[in-house]
Formats: sequence, C-alpha cells, structure tokens
Amino acid sequence: MKVCFYMRDFLATALCKATRTALRITKRGGTALPGRLAMKVSPEILKKLGKDVEVLLVTGTNGKTTSARMLEQAFVDTDKSYFSNKSGSNLIQGITSDFAVNTTFFGKSNKKYAVIECDEAASKEVIRLVKPKVILVTNVFRDQLDRFGEITHTLENIYTGLSNAPDATICLNADCSLTSSLAKRLPNKICFYGVDVPLYEKPAQEVSDALHCIECKNEYKYTYKTYGHLGGFYCENCGYKRQKCNVSVCDVLEQTPDYSRVIMNCNGEKNEVKINLPAGYNIYNAAGSIAALTAMGFSFDEAKSAIENFECGFGRMEKFDLGDKDMRMILIKNPAGCNQVLNYISSFDDKFAFALCINDKIADGTDISWLYDVDFEKLTSFGDRLSNIYISGSRCYDMALRLKYAGISEDKMKILPDFDELIGALTSQSCPVVIVPTYTAMLEFRSKLLKKLGGKEFWR
Amino acid sequence: MKVNICHLYPDILNLYGDSGNILCMTHRLKERNIDFSVTPVSVGSSIDFSAFDLFFIGGGQDFEQKLLLDDLKSTGKAVGIIDAVENNKVFLCICGGFQMMGKYYVAPDGQKSDFLGAVDFYTLGGKKRMTGNYIFDCTEENGGHRIVGFENHAGKTYLGKNVAPLGKIVCGYGNNGEDKTEGVRYKNLFGTYCHGPLLPKNPGLCDEILLTAIKQKDSSFTLSPIDDTLENMAHDAAVKMFLK
Repeated sequence: MKVCFYMRDFLATALCKATRTALRITKRGGTALPGRLAMKVSPEILKKLGKDVEVLLVTGTNGKTTSARMLEQAFVDTDKSYFSNKSGSNLIQGITSDFAVNTTFFGKSNKKYAVIECDEAASKEVIRLVKPKVILVTNVFRDQLDRFGEITHTLENIYTGLSNAPDATICLNADCSLTSSLAKRLPNKICFYGVDVPLYEKPAQEVSDALHCIECKNEYKYTYKTYGHLGGFYCENCGYKRQKCNVSVCDVLEQTPDYSRVIMNCNGEKNEVKINLPAGYNIYNAAGSIAALTAMGFSFDEAKSAIENFECGFGRMEKFDLGDKDMRMILIKNPAGCNQVLNYISSFDDKFAFALCINDKIADGTDISWLYDVDFEKLTSFGDRLSNIYISGSRCYDMALRLKYAGISEDKMKILPDFDELIGALTSQSCPVVIVPTYTAMLEFRSKLLKKLGGKEFWR
Repeated sequence: MKVNICHLYPDILNLYGDSGNILCMTHRLKERNIDFSVTPVSVGSSIDFSAFDLFFIGGGQDFEQKLLLDDLKSTGKAVGIIDAVENNKVFLCICGGFQMMGKYYVAPDGQKSDFLGAVDFYTLGGKKRMTGNYIFDCTEENGGHRIVGFENHAGKTYLGKNVAPLGKIVCGYGNNGEDKTEGVRYKNLFGTYCHGPLLPKNPGLCDEILLTAIKQKDSSFTLSPIDDTLENMAHDAAVKMFLK
C-alpha cells in the first residue's frame, strides 16, 4: 500500500524538528514534546516517517535498553546507516521525534535502519505504524502495575502490537512461559532463544509471575530454573512447555562482577561468547540480541562481536570512575530486576557500599508496594562485605522501613533524601559503591554526578 | 500468648507486595516477644479454622480468580470462611481478597460471578481503573487512624445497608469513587483496597488488627508501645506528599 506524504505531514515533521532544536538550544533535553506536537498535526506521522526504514524493535519488561545497545553495536561495527532512540524515550512521542530527526522535511529517510526500544504498552501503536522487520521480546514480569493493572495486561499489550506486523520475524524468550505463549497466537516466523542451564547457586527468593499454566491453569513444573519464573517450565496437564531454541546459552563458563563468558548455540553451531556486562539477566539479553541480529541478516560473528564490545545504556550497569574506586549504577524498576541485582552483588568478594534511590514518579512506577516483592532479606547474608546502606529518593523512608523489616539494623542505614548529600557521602567512601536507583532517580542522580565529574547528558 | 496466622493463597494472591502485611504483623509481634506462627494454605488444601487467630488474603489477577473460586468451594474453605467470619475470627483482606468476601461481582460485559457471600456487599467491574496514592481515616470503631496507601482497582464496591466501612476517604476513590467509603469492617473482618502495603507505615491499624485477634483469646491483653520512629516518618512523609 502506497504511503503518501502530504502537506500536513511536512508541517508535522517541520514542527517536530524545530521544537527539538529549540529544546536542545535551550538545553532542556525534552524528547516527548516534539513528537507529541507532530502527532497533533498528523496523527499517523510515524507511519509516514518510517516507510523507508528497516526497523529492529525490542520490547518487553526488563532488558530493552541493554538489548538495544547490544543490537546497535552490530550496526556501528559494520558501518551501517542507522539511528536509534538513544535518548531513552521509548513511548510513541519520543520514537516519532527520533524518526523525524532522521528524515528530510519531505519524508525521505536519511538512514536505512533503525534500532528502536519500545515500551510494552506503546508497542501496540508503534509496531502497527513502523512495521518492523524483526521484533525482539525480552520477557514479561510484574512491572508498573499502576499502569498495567495485571501482568496478563502487559502480555496482551505486546500481543496486540505483534499482531499488527504479520511479516516480522519475532524473537521470543523460550524460558518465559508468558512470552513464548505468544508464538501459537501469531502467524509470524518465530525464533526462540533462551538459557539451557541454571544461572545462580543460591538465587534470591522470588514471587513467581507465572505460577499457573497460561493454557489450562495447572501449576507449572520445572526441569531447572534460572530466575523469577524463567527456566525449563512444563505443564503436566496440557503439555505446554519450553520450546527448543534456535539460539541458546548451553553452558556458562564464568560469571564475574564485570562480565560473563558463555557457550552460545546458534542454530547448531557452538561458540564461546564474552558478554560485556555482568549478571544473569545480561546473559539473556545477549542470547536475545544474537537471535534478533541473525534474524536481521547479520552473521553470527558480527552479532558475537557486538555482544563483546557494546557500551551499556545509561545507568544499566554503568561504571563511574571516582578516582580511587568505581561506582556501578544499576537501574531497577521491578521485583525481577531488583532481585537480579541482589543476585549479582552477592557474588562480590570484597567490601562495598550500597545505595538505594527510590522515586515514585510515573516513569518509576507510582506504587512502591513492589519493594515488598524483592528479597531484600538477602542483604543480611552479606555480613561485613556490605559496609553501609545509603537510602535516598522521594520514597526513602518507605525503603528504609522495608529494610528494617528485612532485618537490616537501623544503624547500618543512612537516610539521605538529598542527592547532593548522597553524592558527597558516596564519593568519600573508601570501597567500591553500587548504586541502585529507579528511573527518574537515575536520571537526576546521574546528571548531578556527571556535573561533578564531567560527562555527557543523557539526551546528547 | 501465641498468634497463629493463616496466609491464604500466598503463591497466587501476591500481586502487589501484600505479603509485606504479614512481615509487618510478625515484626510487631516479635518486638513484643509474642510468639506466632504463619501457615501458608493454597490450592487443594483445606483449613482447620479453629487452629488460627488471624487470616490474611492478598490481591491478585483476574486470570487466577476462577481457579480460586473453584478451589474455595471444592476444599470447603468457602463454607469455613463464612462460619469463621460469623464467629468473630479476624480476617484481613486486600483488594481481590476483599472483593471475594462479597456476594457477587458483575463484569463490565454484564457477566455475574457469585463470590463467597461472607459479607453483604457486591462489586461492579468498572471500565475506568481507580489508581493512585490515597488517604482515608478509619472510623472510631477501628481506632480513627489516618491511613495512607495506594489503590489500584477497576471494581466498584457497594456496601450493604447494615455494613460499616473501614474508613472514610480523605482523598482518592475508595470503594467506588462515589460514596467516600473505603473498605469494610464486618465483625472482625477488615477489608480494604489499600496496597502500599497497608500495614507497614500504618502501624496503628496493624496493632488494632493484632489486638483484635489476641483479645479473642485474652480480653485483658495489651500491646506495649514499640519504636515506631521510622514507621511514623514514612507515614508522615507520605501523607505530606499525597494529601490534597
């Protein structure tokens, strides 16, 4: 079907570009407003702007940004003409804005490809409009229940999005019974990826977001578990089970605080891959990214190279050099992600300081009840390795109360609502620091920290 | 003195961190050197209601609701719960757990589901979700505590004529967004839409519920005060942020 570029599309594009430039000049860094204005003038502008672009889209609860950075690296390494919505705005307004910037005023794309990270709810419309070539779905966990209501609602949002791109190749996490249930509902070519072996010796105690079979509601059994509800699930009643993967991690050779080394099985061929970020959930992100990149047309070697060289997204295991020690910033958004952070830091041998920054703005999730679904009790097993716990953010008192109930002594907790004070306290630590913020806390803290240390703002 | 708590369906009705209420209760009992037990009871099991002093049911998804209703009938838990409520056993029911105690639920498409009928109220599934931080004041009967928490429900609950609410809405929607009632207090059943979770930063209500259970066994028992500095800081900070 021919997609025509009309006068209002020209105006919408022009308005978007102008607003964005104005915001940059005034150093406001807004990403949503330009797109929102463009959509007011031409509601389907994203369809017009995306018509010439081959899109690789990633959605799901956890791992979108890190996966997008892995995917993007392959385009960088092979010198392809592409753009990505790096500014972290993954709703339709921000995505529209990024497309407009990479299109001429007359709707011709300057770039051949796009790597797009897309929010689960936004994927309903975005996928319909940009018609991606490949879609990567990372996983489905309880997250932002103030937005989604229930976990099945998140899944349905993703299904609606996927059903609008029948020609796309869809890469699904085989270990997630929720995600992989999408396969039989869609006519698309499906590529399954996963992890064939357990990841942690003593994983955090977690609530399961998928206890009962999505087909027949019988309780799932597992041949092995990796984390959360992920693993080798099967239903004894109806036979729904984890599918065989096209791409999977069949062995984990090494997990360190800085990276992991695994054996990746890609369509029968096994190769060692070093993943440039630590922690079990990045092993999943790597497997998913290799599946998506090979589906997009990259060779296995090109995909492997991307995983080994990519740069993390802001606050996603990001390292800051504080002179005599490092600070690792790890974004948290929901119980699954936070439990994985706890699993990751439990592997540290040396003493470290820990900071939790909990905000409750819309992007953080306005209901902080989820803190009680995180196994913070695990922190009591760290003994002397954990020097101090700093607590900050608008909901710092709720966080401190959660830790009190987890068995952490109030003496070990230092509540510092003000970020400048927190930066002062953390930079004066003698041991490495791990800081774990929610999304808006991450942006604010990171911005203040970089002003002190010198570095790029997130939207540049 | 020993308080025996029964946690119903902890593996399914656990969607909004409501198990934090169990943590709060056990913490406050421990601080006072009061012995306690927490027994999880889920699908397929029946309950000896006389063995417990307090029953807790959290919130969950529509996805598992039919599974639960079938289980409640087939294991005899439904009949047991109705009897236990009438015999003044203490229940704390949150959100989905609260709705289930009512007579019925009507979905937006008109489909009616019979619920337990332990208390005279019903719920209508609304199209608009009532979500956000909210504040309500418990009635005098419930200690008059100011409660701050988070609600997230599409169901609109309407209490029967002779059924009292747990509290009155100060800001937010509450049971139905219309009559300013929040939750229910029927005999010793406390029902509410409040997440947060409910009890950690509302320690006064937690003690109210615990004492109600304890007094069924020893009517002269009192709870000694404990250090609630952090609880009160969290409570007051939240009220300050959300009071409109």
